[in-house]
Amino acid sequence: MQETLQTLVGGLSLGAVYALVAMGFSLVYRTMGLVNFAHADIAMIGAYAASTFYLTSKLPFAVAMVVAIAVTAAIGLVIERVLRPLENKDFDLMLIGTIGFGIVLQAVAILIWGTTGRAVRSPVRSAPLDLFGVRVRTYDLLVMAVAALAVLGLAWFLARTKRGAAMQAVAMDHEAATAVGIDVGRSNALAFSIGAGLAALAGGLVGPMLYVDASLGGALGIKGFAAAMLGGFGSIPGAVVGGLAIGVLDSYAAGHFQGYSVLVTFLVFTAAIMIRPMGVFGERTVSRA
Amino acid sequence: MTRSRTPRPRADSRPRTAARTAVCTAAALAAALTACSAPGESDDDTKASSGPIKVAVVNAQSGQLSSLGDWEYKGAKLAIDEWNEKGGIDGRKIQVKLFDDQGDPTTGTNIARRLVSEKYIAMIGTAESAVTIAMGPVLQQAKIPNITSGQSDGLVALKSPYLFLNGPTSTTYDSTLAEHLVKDKGYKKIAMITNNGSFGKGEHDAFLKAVKELGVTPSTDQVVTTDQKEFSAALTKIRSTKPEVIFIGSEEVEAGLIVKQARDLGITAPFAGAAPQGTPVFIDTAGKAAVEDTIVSSPYLSNDTSAASKKFAAAYEAAYGKEAELHGAKAYDGANILLTALRTSNGASGEELADAIRDTRYKGLLGDFRYDESGVGITKTTIGVIRDGELVPQR
Repeated sequence: MQETLQTLVGGLSLGAVYALVAMGFSLVYRTMGLVNFAHADIAMIGAYAASTFYLTSKLPFAVAMVVAIAVTAAIGLVIERVLRPLENKDFDLMLIGTIGFGIVLQAVAILIWGTTGRAVRSPVRSAPLDLFGVRVRTYDLLVMAVAALAVLGLAWFLARTKRGAAMQAVAMDHEAATAVGIDVGRSNALAFSIGAGLAALAGGLVGPMLYVDASLGGALGIKGFAAAMLGGFGSIPGAVVGGLAIGVLDSYAAGHFQGYSVLVTFLVFTAAIMIRPMGVFGERTVSRA
Repeated sequence: MTRSRTPRPRADSRPRTAARTAVCTAAALAAALTACSAPGESDDDTKASSGPIKVAVVNAQSGQLSSLGDWEYKGAKLAIDEWNEKGGIDGRKIQVKLFDDQGDPTTGTNIARRLVSEKYIAMIGTAESAVTIAMGPVLQQAKIPNITSGQSDGLVALKSPYLFLNGPTSTTYDSTLAEHLVKDKGYKKIAMITNNGSFGKGEHDAFLKAVKELGVTPSTDQVVTTDQKEFSAALTKIRSTKPEVIFIGSEEVEAGLIVKQARDLGITAPFAGAAPQGTPVFIDTAGKAAVEDTIVSSPYLSNDTSAASKKFAAAYEAAYGKEAELHGAKAYDGANILLTALRTSNGASGEELADAIRDTRYKGLLGDFRYDESGVGITKTTIGVIRDGELVPQR
């Protein structure tokens, strides 16, 4: 029992990070119908940026995170601007473009920060909490709280603000949205920069839990992508459910199948996708191609 | 299949002959290529040549194992630069080129073919046993001696007369460690956590065999994957067996994460492991407090153990502005052995060079190298302990 709960707690903390990554994937997909394959590498840049401002510039962790989010949001804007001429013209090229940006970002990270990577110390110093023999790291609680706030903030933005509503409108029918005077380009740019900001949030938060190097994106990206698929690509609540599910599934698979855990995780994932191709919260897909 | 073939033998036989011809041509081409490019077989490759001696360093320069690859390259480069400053070998400069294998065996085999076609005389690296094993057959066929930094027993199992290790094998590391834990420390409850990669698997098998021979069965034997990031399931199981010590068989970063998470889960038992557990990356990833009292089996504990290691560390510091460690020292020894063999054989290549390496007796930073038929030159390690974030010899 204790072991089961401990495994659950461990899975939830990384699951919260996967949920953040999945949210970024979903937001861009929802607005543009585009899978941003550079997303995971933006998260890696975010992790590096946060660790640099935190460790080298000695900023408080929260401030370092905000700066890192601003940096990646700017990167998101640049990517969208470069891809914009292709919008509604060559969808495949846009996809390949995002893959290209991912590779560029990895190369840039190696140029700036080198190949060795760095360990980030936890900004929370207090000892883990002990709940009936289950140890809960205070930093994990912080990660889950920040992730929850981000989810609520994004949901509020999409449902209650004018810009958010405009983005929803573009997602549903971009021609109609253009007709009523919504700037589709600006809406896409906003989606891209918010998505990139979410990536930095995920990357920055995961830094003290893992190890920051140029391959971090690979570790986060595959699980985050799977989480988005499992939840229903494009759905924000789906991203959260998918992220937590993948995190917990991963954790239990590790306990029961040890060396074969990755295989088991993805077999379960494949089975789930076969049963429900649209994911848990599957909406109709946005097809702009 | 057979039934459909019988009524139409002609139509079927033609494409098969064509395919066979294609295969034959390809095979002939491949044979011709390897024959042409094998060093030592054509005249301009042997001692008569006066051009630079081409030596390749293959190591990961990107990916999670890149720090390892970086240390190895720095160590090897330092040795080669020192030889070049002294005038090279018979007046010939040693020309070194670095190849990035990304820690990936497929990339490695492609590089191996490039080394053959570009007529490299010898290869230093890689630090990854799996990559070295993948490259082995190609290099053996082309008779290119390889001094690897890998330590897996799988390297010995390859039985290539062109493959040499620049350090001990996992068996040496782990039998020394197991003996220390069981005999010197008297530990009876030993938990194990290893990964299922080539390094971790080697460590798992070697350590398990060693402790069982000493009459100890591990309290639990947890296997994780190489890209796992979250270890609460395995660590909770380990905690429930209340071990006195935990053997860890995993590379630097992952091992660091395991130890960090173990401490957060309230596991206080010390960890014990081999080479990766003595590195700064392991210590940084886990945090200084978490790795206190880690028991490390290593042929190179610190830069202060001998006059030779002090001299090496000073040269390393001067060249790179960084502190030297085990992997740099290993690669430095390996490169020196290769260069010594090149000098004694007057810059030979192929079989002659491999024999010269086997005959080389070298007093290195890691100990006295004496190669046997298996390509292993060193069979001793010492036990160290991490105190205040530094690896120091066990008293």
